[in-house]
Amino acid sequence: MAPTISNTSMLFLIVFVLIPVSLSYMYSLGLGKSITWSSLRGVIQLFLIGYILTYLFALPPLTGISIMLLVMITIATFHASKKGEGIPKVRLMIFLIILGVELMILSMWIGFGMISFTSEQVIPMSGMVIGNSMVAIGLALERMKSEFREGKGKIVAALSLGAKPQQASKIIIRKIVKAAMIPNVDGLKTVGLVQLPGMMTGLILGGVAPIDAIRYQIVISLSIFTCVSISAMLVTIALYRYFFNKNMQLIDIKSEA
Amino acid sequence: MNETNVIKVENVTTDRIFNISFELSLGEITAVIGPSGAGKSSLLTLLNRLTDPQKGDIFYYGKQLTTYPIIDLRRRIGMAFQSSSLFDGTVEDNLKFGPSLVGKWKKANGPLLLEKVQLPKDYLYRDVEHLSGGEQQRVALARTLANDPEIFLLDEVTSALDLQTVETIEKLLVQLAKEENKGIAMVTHNIEQAKRISDKVIFMENGTILEQGKTVDLLGTPQTEQLQKFLKE
Repeated sequence: MAPTISNTSMLFLIVFVLIPVSLSYMYSLGLGKSITWSSLRGVIQLFLIGYILTYLFALPPLTGISIMLLVMITIATFHASKKGEGIPKVRLMIFLIILGVELMILSMWIGFGMISFTSEQVIPMSGMVIGNSMVAIGLALERMKSEFREGKGKIVAALSLGAKPQQASKIIIRKIVKAAMIPNVDGLKTVGLVQLPGMMTGLILGGVAPIDAIRYQIVISLSIFTCVSISAMLVTIALYRYFFNKNMQLIDIKSEA
Repeated sequence: MNETNVIKVENVTTDRIFNISFELSLGEITAVIGPSGAGKSSLLTLLNRLTDPQKGDIFYYGKQLTTYPIIDLRRRIGMAFQSSSLFDGTVEDNLKFGPSLVGKWKKANGPLLLEKVQLPKDYLYRDVEHLSGGEQQRVALARTLANDPEIFLLDEVTSALDLQTVETIEKLLVQLAKEENKGIAMVTHNIEQAKRISDKVIFMENGTILEQGKTVDLLGTPQTEQLQKFLKE
């Protein structure tokens, strides 16, 4: 059983908040209000999620997992789609991509016997996959917009040589997927060396032996890697077409928005 | 329509150009001149449907441009841009892009294309990033030549070149027009170049064509105040 932090100890966290608030006051940073508010909000959100998870864990796994995954994917979709404003059907596409990627990785976890289909295992692991896919999709969308803007000359040249939009976009799709994957590639290089990853830390704190904790960490790290690359590739492949009109002409997404 | 006038533009308006009409012929070089922002490049992009007119008609061999399959049209009416449009990779990657799309690339084409734009054969495998501006510009032109279009739309393709290379490219353009009967429309800022190689000149300002006609007439005795002023500058 994992050791619990008592309510009294938790109350002392006020000190943790008071330090940055005092610094803000001392240097007139004007951040006191937002530090207090975001800390309070964070605490409330986490308590809330604690109770919600407790409730969900008590439900039959299929029900609890379905509800939580749907909520997580919906929030991730709304967040990631902000980076793709102006692109038609961006929300629907992102939702379907994250859902597809999550279902794929979930079936692999279960199929290969890595985890069991219980809310305690599926929900936290899926949360990490969905969160990272959300970030990768956001990066891919941002990069896609900038590549279509900055690489306009190349795409127009490709079209003028007789390329279809799909062929013309190929020259930048590679760059977009690479850009979305780089944070994870870099992260994997130093994993465990600079900072112990969150999942592993949690398990160790919960009393699991480090050698067992790293197994989960390896599964999640590589799963995230897979999901990030697939999400970035799929979002690019699904949405590049909206940068062209039916006459295979490049359009300016901003002005169309 | 004159039989050789394969392209006829009638009263075309877009968001950048207004009510323009002109014709292009095979075997002729037409220079498009005018100050920056006059709509010269926009005029070229209309002809291979990188953009479409809001009003007016464009005919190709007497048929509306829009009746041709767009991919075929862009291969027949090719366009070359400034060097920044080169794709990442080697010179050969760039040259084979167009022909490969229809399975027509032959390895032997590479050296021939480089020869046309006077680049050494061993440049084929060089990364385009390592070429000078002038060399990149020649690769961009060779890439368009690789598709063997009937009409060339050239957007300031000699602007970054040294005098000797400009001369080489000009010879190539004259050869394409006079010996291979290609039609060429070229945007240029270089009036002397227009005088040297073009048969016709279109002068544009603020999105409209103010004068057009034979090069000798137009540049010899400009009619409008704007063209007189432009030529003096």
